Amino acid sequence: MSAAIRNLRNNPKLLFVRLPNFLSFLCIVVGVVWLLLLPLNDYSRKTYISENALLPGQVHAYFSGSEQNVFRGYKQELDGLLNEGRERGGQKDDAEVTSTVSGKVQSIFLAVGLKIATQKYEYTSAGITHQGENVYAIIHAPRGDATEAIVLVAPWKTADDELNLNGVTLALTLARYFKRWSLWSKDIIFLITPDSKSGTQAWIDAYHDMHPESVQPLPLKSGALQGALVIEYPFDHHFNTLHIVYDGVNGQLPNLDLFNTAVSIAGGQMGIGSNLQEMWEHKDSYEHRLQTIFRGMTKQGLGYATGAHSSFMPYHIDAITLQPKGHGWEDEMALGRTIESICRSLNNLLEHLHQSFFFYLLMQSNRFVSIGTYLPSAMLIAGNFTIMAIALWLRTGYYLENKPKAAAQPKDKKKSVEPTAQAKGNGVEERHLALPLTLVVGLHLLGLVPLWMFNTLFHQYFTMATYIFVVVDIVLPLLLAALLSNGLGPFAPIIPQQYLLIKSFSLLLLGLSLSTLATLNFSLSFMIGLLCAPLCFITRLRTSSAPLRCSVSGLGLVLLNLLSPPTVLLGVCWYTGVSVETVLTQAAFGWDVWGMWTQVVVWCVWWPAWLIGCVLLGSSMF
Amino acid sequence: MALLFRFLQVLSLLLLAGAVAAEHTSNWAVLVSTSRFWFNYRHLANVLSLYRTVKRLGIPDSQIILMLPDDMACNPRNAFPGTVYSNADRAVDLYGDNIEVDYRGYEVTVENFIRLLTDRLDEDVPRSKRLGSDAGSNVLVYMTGHGGDQFLKFQDAEEIGAWDLADAFGQMWEKKRYHELLFMIDTCQANTMYTHFYSPNIVATGSSEIDQSSYSHHADNDVGVAVIDRWTYYVLEFLETQVTSATSKLTLGDLFDSYDESKIHSQPGVRWDLFPGGEQEGRLRTVVDFFGNVQNVEVENANATDPGSLKEDLAEIAQLVEKWRKRDEEYSAILGDSSKNHTADAPSSHSLHLAPKKTVGPTKMAEDNSWSKRLVGLSVVGACTAIWVAGSILGHSSV
Repeated sequence: MSAAIRNLRNNPKLLFVRLPNFLSFLCIVVGVVWLLLLPLNDYSRKTYISENALLPGQVHAYFSGSEQNVFRGYKQELDGLLNEGRERGGQKDDAEVTSTVSGKVQSIFLAVGLKIATQKYEYTSAGITHQGENVYAIIHAPRGDATEAIVLVAPWKTADDELNLNGVTLALTLARYFKRWSLWSKDIIFLITPDSKSGTQAWIDAYHDMHPESVQPLPLKSGALQGALVIEYPFDHHFNTLHIVYDGVNGQLPNLDLFNTAVSIAGGQMGIGSNLQEMWEHKDSYEHRLQTIFRGMTKQGLGYATGAHSSFMPYHIDAITLQPKGHGWEDEMALGRTIESICRSLNNLLEHLHQSFFFYLLMQSNRFVSIGTYLPSAMLIAGNFTIMAIALWLRTGYYLENKPKAAAQPKDKKKSVEPTAQAKGNGVEERHLALPLTLVVGLHLLGLVPLWMFNTLFHQYFTMATYIFVVVDIVLPLLLAALLSNGLGPFAPIIPQQYLLIKSFSLLLLGLSLSTLATLNFSLSFMIGLLCAPLCFITRLRTSSAPLRCSVSGLGLVLLNLLSPPTVLLGVCWYTGVSVETVLTQAAFGWDVWGMWTQVVVWCVWWPAWLIGCVLLGSSMF
Repeated sequence: MALLFRFLQVLSLLLLAGAVAAEHTSNWAVLVSTSRFWFNYRHLANVLSLYRTVKRLGIPDSQIILMLPDDMACNPRNAFPGTVYSNADRAVDLYGDNIEVDYRGYEVTVENFIRLLTDRLDEDVPRSKRLGSDAGSNVLVYMTGHGGDQFLKFQDAEEIGAWDLADAFGQMWEKKRYHELLFMIDTCQANTMYTHFYSPNIVATGSSEIDQSSYSHHADNDVGVAVIDRWTYYVLEFLETQVTSATSKLTLGDLFDSYDESKIHSQPGVRWDLFPGGEQEGRLRTVVDFFGNVQNVEVENANATDPGSLKEDLAEIAQLVEKWRKRDEEYSAILGDSSKNHTADAPSSHSLHLAPKKTVGPTKMAEDNSWSKRLVGLSVVGACTAIWVAGSILGHSSV
């Protein structure tokens, strides 16, 4: 043992070069394997309700019978008005929600005896204007104290942009039905928004007085919001399963108790199965579990709003969307009863949902892993950068790099030469920090340029901008590498130690950012960590033969360019068949309206780290 | 003759009472729910069911201390405002129109509970919030809530430990605040709560062993919560169906034998060792000894000889009796004499002599021979006193 330690001490090459490389690689492998182990029974847990107050499914839901007639009546009235609008406006299949329809909704709420209010809003993003008018009504808890409220949202357009006529009608019918109960301890707010993207955001912002100027303030408010349910029912046939959507903006999730309550009520009380992450055929096998996790991670990592419920999450309001799917024999009344029962459960709450997890990965509607189990995966990947950064820092201080002749040797021979060189030089060297620090900080700041560009351009230029950026990503590293190698103005040409310092700082920042990010948005941190993994192992080549060096680094650059942010974007778009413009418009909308931070991570963490990797590799050509 | 029979009956009862050595003179009940919040509806329903039962069996509100930490009846979530039910059939509204809650809401604390038991309360605390029991009181203490190994949670904020409770009862015994005490508790790991009791005359029973949960019995799907716990439910079932009146002769043994683990879903426990005579003696206590209101009278100072004491009274009564007897004899002698002497006199004089006495004397109600009646009365009083004295001497010596 002691012999091994002594050996390690006497062999700095092993300590500073081999060992960190090995450790970093091990971290990445373990991190990935860790994630792959999660779906196994030993590492995941069955879901359970931890909040005692919820009491899911303990009440009879009485929403049925004559309420169905009311539902049909409302639906006919609304449908008639929508058709009128359709004929007059000569629109596509989609009916525009005109002011007559909105007026009708208001009059129904009024007739039921609720207080109503409206809110106009307008957002502009990527040159597109989104505007509309929210209508909402409040049932004041007859015996409650109006300090808390539950929100039921029915957007006219679902998250998939279909007309949600049944959903809106169901909300109206439920409003009439709920008004007759005297057992509400919280106010119930019915919110009818024109779409799933911007309407709820405008409303919830205004509810908390955080709205921009283009959004009207709310004339009517209630207490602190305890939970929100979004109702979607965009078709006329009966359904057989409930798809529960729970991802929020920036990968925030609602409390697991809310999801569990919905699953347990739908399954246990109503006999309706539930799906998540569009996994319609879930056989509870390892593959399906893993696939569900991956889908969840993708949504979480991208951080976009997956439905009208997503906007509630930043305000720490737990919300989910209920989407009926498939063909079966469950009708709108069954959905209504499910919502009634969930509302009764939320009504039982005594304090904000807090008992269960906020950080989790679901792999089946009744199986999950919590943050304690999955976090090490992303942390290991983030940690590999930090290990490498620290090793490089030590190496620049103690390891004599400036033995060009020795360093120029091929690796096999170097092993025998290095120890003697080390012994002579006593292993202490001054670090030249100015240039590496300036370069790393400067390149990170440079990330603000694409960030600003991709969030302010008009949507029709997005595709072109992406291609331009691909070219920039090819040229910029080479340019920077040439400048560094040959010196520029006051700067002397770079010395080899500084290459290592640049890499050290870059990786240090990357490691820090990713490990911080892992606690907030595990999936994003994991994805970026994986995409950046090669950056840990590339360095300036020092092979003596120029052609070999050039060709190897050229090949490396090509490979690295395949992993650049814009290329990855293009590749994913090509693979999924979504146009680049749509993705970037959505992203810009997310930045402008939802407060989405994914782009910041991409342009200010990933892109600079990638760029520095390319510069290091490119510098071997010069 | 009927009168005589009645007296004999009373005498035999007195004799019996004398034979049953430990006799109590009042009943008190302390019924405590320790949890608040809507989803703990069942704990309040448990306590209210017990409250209703002890009232039914005769303990008056003034001798029941009811502690309710929350108000389920007025909770906005209650689908049936103003009511509390302990059964999904909703046959009996436990909240009714005749309920006295002595400690409510945040008054239900460990401190208040212990102060109540040990009577360490300020002078200005009203009688309704005091446990006015004395050395002759049988006390029923019923507790329910959420608990664990040797603790019972109060209101999510604090907890009472098994030692706290044992010490409180110990103090009660020191201060002669109970004669016998029945402790009942329905909570998870309930039996751990009475493990540390050390003061005598306590029978303790709980719903579940250590590491066992106590479960709720059933939920009401309209109220939307579980309405009663299993153990309490089956105890109540026994009390309601078997102990139908305050004169029920069913014993604690019968009550504890009615526990059915397959129904209760946990192992209820009973602790007898603190009771004089142990399980054998304890099992003989009737249920109404604790749940009912027995009004025995205990005469203090039966053997004292001070002025005004019973012995002196009895001696005085005996003297009076003797005096009256003498007067009667004298009187009858005089009567006989006068009749002898004045037979020759005109009858008017005789009537004249008797007339004033007749107007003053009591009206004759019956045609019975008053002398024989008086004799019977005298003898009965004499016998009664003799037995009384004998009984109280016996009773005193055996206590």
